Amino acid sequence: MQQYEIMVIIPNSLDAKAAEKSYKDLNKRLADEFGAQVTFEDFWGERGFAYIINKQKWGYYAVSQFEMDPTRAQELRHELNLDKEIVRFLLTKVDPRAPKPQKYADMQKEYAAANKKKAEAAKDAKPAPGKKAKLTTVKEDAPAKEADTKPTEKAEAPAADEAPKDAVDKKLDAIIDESSTDL
Amino acid sequence: MPPRPKKFVCTLCKNNVQVVDYKNPGFLANYITYYRSLQSRFHTGVCLKHQKQLAVAVKRARGMGLLAAVRYEK
Repeated sequence: MQQYEIMVIIPNSLDAKAAEKSYKDLNKRLADEFGAQVTFEDFWGERGFAYIINKQKWGYYAVSQFEMDPTRAQELRHELNLDKEIVRFLLTKVDPRAPKPQKYADMQKEYAAANKKKAEAAKDAKPAPGKKAKLTTVKEDAPAKEADTKPTEKAEAPAADEAPKDAVDKKLDAIIDESSTDL
Repeated sequence: MPPRPKKFVCTLCKNNVQVVDYKNPGFLANYITYYRSLQSRFHTGVCLKHQKQLAVAVKRARGMGLLAAVRYEK
């Protein structure tokens, strides 16, 4: 038995629930058809692509780890290639030295915390006089990072807009009423 | 006698990173250039073992749409 990790991209034509369901079906298929023991599951959810794939800008990401007989790997790759509910997949062997797999949400939090620390350190370093500013390499935000923010923005935007919308509707109603009376 | 040059220390070895993960594009972004190609070991300051792991991780991330292989103008 060999420890494998698979990352799949599920097309955005499905909604979030259907995508999660298809991911769970995949895990079930791994267990039933390929005799795999799924040890780790993580549905990332919506995430933007760094470049356009199949004319789409985003998809649902999911990662799972499992133990499987290495002789079945080729067969699994073949099946996944034929699967139309998968945009892309990546099947890799897990390095035995690798740390325990992390959930995506935890990874994001850790990364945000590290970034904050870095920013604070940079702030503290600035006032120190006499020292020349360090030459830093161009660290432009990778498009992937922008993509990170995309889905969250999407989720937040409607909630924020709801209240003003109601107010605007009321105002419009009032204006219509007024204009009708004038006529 | 001129002072000895500083001893080369790999940042990943220092942080006790055993395996470079392809799933963290934010981390990998530190090791690619403005035009999204992998930086050389001269610039990353990483030991050969980790540089090779970085190369594999970046290529995997590119394949899965986590990182771009070229810079896109908006």
